[in-house]
Amino acid sequence: MKYFATVNGRAHEVELFEERGELAVRVDGKPLAIRYEEVDDLGQVIALCEGKSYALSLEGSEERVSVTLAGNFYEIELENERERAAHAAERAGGKSGGVVNAIMPGVVVELLVKKGQAVEKGQPLLILSAMKMQNEIAAPQAGVVKELFVAAGQAVAAGAKLVTLELVAG
Amino acid sequence: MFQRILIANRGEIALRVIRTAREMGIETVAVYSDFDSRALHTRMAQVAVPLVGNLPSETYLVAEKIIAAAKSTGAEAIHPGYGFLSENAGFARKVQEAGLVWIGPPPSAIEAMGDKIKSRQRMKAAGVPVVPGLTEPVADAAAAITAAKEIGYPIAIKAAAGGGGKGIRIVRDAAGMESGFRTASGEAKSSFGDGRVYLERYLDKPRHIEVQLLFDTHGNGVHYGVRECSIQRRHQKLLEECPSVVIDAKTRDAMGEVALTAGRAVGYQNAGTVEFLWSNGQFYFLEMNTRLQVEHPVTEMVTGTDLVREQLRVAAGEKLGYEQKDVRWNGWAIEVRLNAEDVFHKFVPSTGTIHNLRMPGGPFVRLDLGLYRGMEVGLNYDPMLAKLIVWGPNREQAIARMRRALQELNIGGVRTSAPAALAVLEHERFQKGDFDTHFLEGLDLAQQHTEHDALVAAAAAIWRQRKATRRSLAPLAHEREGWTTRSRRAREVQ
Repeated sequence: MKYFATVNGRAHEVELFEERGELAVRVDGKPLAIRYEEVDDLGQVIALCEGKSYALSLEGSEERVSVTLAGNFYEIELENERERAAHAAERAGGKSGGVVNAIMPGVVVELLVKKGQAVEKGQPLLILSAMKMQNEIAAPQAGVVKELFVAAGQAVAAGAKLVTLELVAG
Repeated sequence: MFQRILIANRGEIALRVIRTAREMGIETVAVYSDFDSRALHTRMAQVAVPLVGNLPSETYLVAEKIIAAAKSTGAEAIHPGYGFLSENAGFARKVQEAGLVWIGPPPSAIEAMGDKIKSRQRMKAAGVPVVPGLTEPVADAAAAITAAKEIGYPIAIKAAAGGGGKGIRIVRDAAGMESGFRTASGEAKSSFGDGRVYLERYLDKPRHIEVQLLFDTHGNGVHYGVRECSIQRRHQKLLEECPSVVIDAKTRDAMGEVALTAGRAVGYQNAGTVEFLWSNGQFYFLEMNTRLQVEHPVTEMVTGTDLVREQLRVAAGEKLGYEQKDVRWNGWAIEVRLNAEDVFHKFVPSTGTIHNLRMPGGPFVRLDLGLYRGMEVGLNYDPMLAKLIVWGPNREQAIARMRRALQELNIGGVRTSAPAALAVLEHERFQKGDFDTHFLEGLDLAQQHTEHDALVAAAAAIWRQRKATRRSLAPLAHEREGWTTRSRRAREVQ
């Protein structure tokens, strides 16, 4: 089985196959001698790799795995060949630009713009309160406010759509 | 000494107080929100009283509910911890009026230090050095721009009723005053119900140095030396040390004396901390925190003193029983706050359910925590999950020990501030002691370790494949159902 693994934004290819009944691994075409053993079913893993021992913690979903190794954090996106093709097709379909999402869960304190208003890059669009801190959410690009999805006082989840902008060309 | 005390808090600090009380043979009463019914403080106290509700405003912030819980359980005193009602003079007064002992300073001292403007006026009058700035609140942005001309930029706009870094904005020129004033005032209003702000000069390369104080009720007081808290972002501390590389014994004693003067000026009792800004060898009074602080363990490790024990002793009316010369400092301690936040994405809060815990251990490692396996980390409460504290005979060994302990630690289910703390500890400038309060904000956390990419990528792929295999081998839910007692009984009935 071949996986495309993006480790903190860096692309790698992992191949898992069987060799004389044993699991064998190739990363970016190079063989990697690794013995993998799960300590518990919560995500504690020991990996013996080229004479060294590594205590790993793994968690997440099939597509997104978080690995902690010696206090350092690795966010890994995994795609098999079928998923990779599907994702590529999605991207080719094109996404709508100018969507401003909530970077964190919180409560909308105040809207600073109106629908149809022209905004400059960096202009504050609204104030989002999270963890008792008030944060100005700024326009990522210059544009015209196409739609506001939230009202003052509304609680929003991380990643929720806040505002769409009609981007000004150039 | 008390027989039974109530702890009006949650999380690691509630547990911290419970532990000392148990050691002293004092029974503890925990209060808890619905959400905290399984929390560690609820489990570890001898008595637990539900506050009914989930939001802090329905539970840990409701003075009447907490006092009623103390009365009904026969608690004699209330320890407020930090945050929540700990610096609320009105609450302290209500506790005393209910015939209970308030384990903290007199309400009048909380009031005197709680208002950042009045406290500065008072400190100035007592001969304590303060940062150049206004001692009166400014009415609006225009007035702020006028006042700023005299103080000089950069300017810090601060909430009059503030603390904990909330409601502070730095403005570098007149053009930024409008937006700075609006956000600072708005944040002050929503956090403290008081939108008044004041201005002061923002110091160059400042370090945040604070002095731990302890007074009994008989007029005796000592300082427990300094803590270095310059590793912070948005005025929220991440890593603290005791002592500080820039403070020698002479300066420590001088700062300690000034801090004691500040405390005496307001008739202070119990434990408290005077925060100073230190810049180019000069130090200025910033504010006084009239409670036990989050970072108190580093002082405990270096002085060998259980500060909560001292708090309980003096609250019960005991004399300190020692003098300044009896306070000794040995070695170096570091604390790292483990917050639920994503350090790689602007420190945004991280939520999730805690699982896959791996705790650090070994010599001179202390973990004060409020988290447990199965805990849901949400947005209702403070994001601090735990504090990791280490001691070493010197700073170099303490740093090495903290790095080792952080490498052992894993808190699965949420992101934590641990990688940021590691990046600080590994940085050459930090190791040399060359840093200020802007150090963390300027640190490039995106700089990555890449040497283990192949290993972690392979492990993740194997982990996924194993998971998929297990799932395909597991019997389907409806097939398994037939073997449970309940479904068998259901069939028999048919």
